Amino acid sequence: MTRHDFDDETLMAFADGELDEATSARLEAALATDETLAERLAVFFESRLLVAGAMKPLIDEPVPEALLKSVRRMADDARSGETNAGNIVSLRPKPQRETRRWLMPLAASIVAVITGVVGFTVGRNLDPATLDSSAEIATVLDREASGQDIALGAGETLHVIASFRDKNGSLCREYELKQASSSTVSIACRQDQTWVTQLALSSAKAEGYVPASAQETIDAYLASIEAGAPLSPEEERAILAP
Amino acid sequence: MQTVPERLVAFLPNLRRFAISLCRSREMADDLVQTACERAILAADSFVPGSRFDAWMFRILRNLWIDHLRRQKTAGPHDDLEEARDVSVPSGEAASLARMDLLEVTAALQKLPEEQREVLVLVCVEELSYRDTAEVLSIPIGTVMSRLARARKNLAELTGISFGEKRSFDTKGGVA
Repeated sequence: MTRHDFDDETLMAFADGELDEATSARLEAALATDETLAERLAVFFESRLLVAGAMKPLIDEPVPEALLKSVRRMADDARSGETNAGNIVSLRPKPQRETRRWLMPLAASIVAVITGVVGFTVGRNLDPATLDSSAEIATVLDREASGQDIALGAGETLHVIASFRDKNGSLCREYELKQASSSTVSIACRQDQTWVTQLALSSAKAEGYVPASAQETIDAYLASIEAGAPLSPEEERAILAP
Repeated sequence: MQTVPERLVAFLPNLRRFAISLCRSREMADDLVQTACERAILAADSFVPGSRFDAWMFRILRNLWIDHLRRQKTAGPHDDLEEARDVSVPSGEAASLARMDLLEVTAALQKLPEEQREVLVLVCVEELSYRDTAEVLSIPIGTVMSRLARARKNLAELTGISFGEKRSFDTKGGVA
């Protein structure tokens, strides 16, 4: 016999610790004498335990390396974008998987904003292989005149676009690194003999072509650092290492 | 207070678990998690500091999943169901009886309708409150409760944990 009318949802809320105190007290009192009620309640306790038991261990499964890396990179990029890039829009490049099932309307072609020392971080949002070429890039930026294509190891080509000075008078260079599957336009400025990347925009498979939105980002960035006009070949020669 | 990007990395195992329970495929789950993280970073400003990060993330991920289902009206067969079952079961010393039960439960979970499975997982696995679950799913709390109750009775029926088949599961209130 049940004197109280406890529906399934009330029993369930009790099992889940979501039932208010007054109703809980009434239910507890009823449970003491009503075995059928207790059985109905047990279904909710047990089902919770069963589902938890079956699914919770999944949390111990290692997150696949590729996913972990990718999200770490996104998080890093977002952080450096926030602290250093001001109002520049920062979008991740589409990860290079053969087919994405979640076609994002955003992030269609561009990109990320990163900052850091060339030697260590220029490759952060690129293929791991790029890391090896940072030292090479720094050497090229130190020495080579703008307007040239310079072949690096690993099938990459570095095209130095221009040199200019920022508002502090530091020498900066805009260059494009072309790789097999992507190209990255970067701006690096020299600080204490080190090339510090200010901005890097990667786009997948965009040979010889920078998406309009990326160009806008570059222009906005150049304006924000009050970049001077590009240096003439003579001015450039006088500055670059022999 | 940690920022959204900082929290994301630590939250990946949870997010992935929830994704697997929705997709029933690891490969798809990983894609889903990745996309959800991209979304979250872009929408980081919309996260209210002090509110529940897990609920916010689950909601982003779940909305992407729903979009995907809508786009893909005819969902194909889920290829790695078997794998999903295997991995969700503790290995090693787990008694074979317990193992059987878990296999059964996992199989039963897969049979539940999408809408029942997601409330079940959010409440019983991710331990969200009814209120947070309602927010994640954008449905009233009453709907959360009725779906959740149905899901659990279905699960009980499918796994045979119910106490005696004589009782009708459709009885609401009182005793049959």
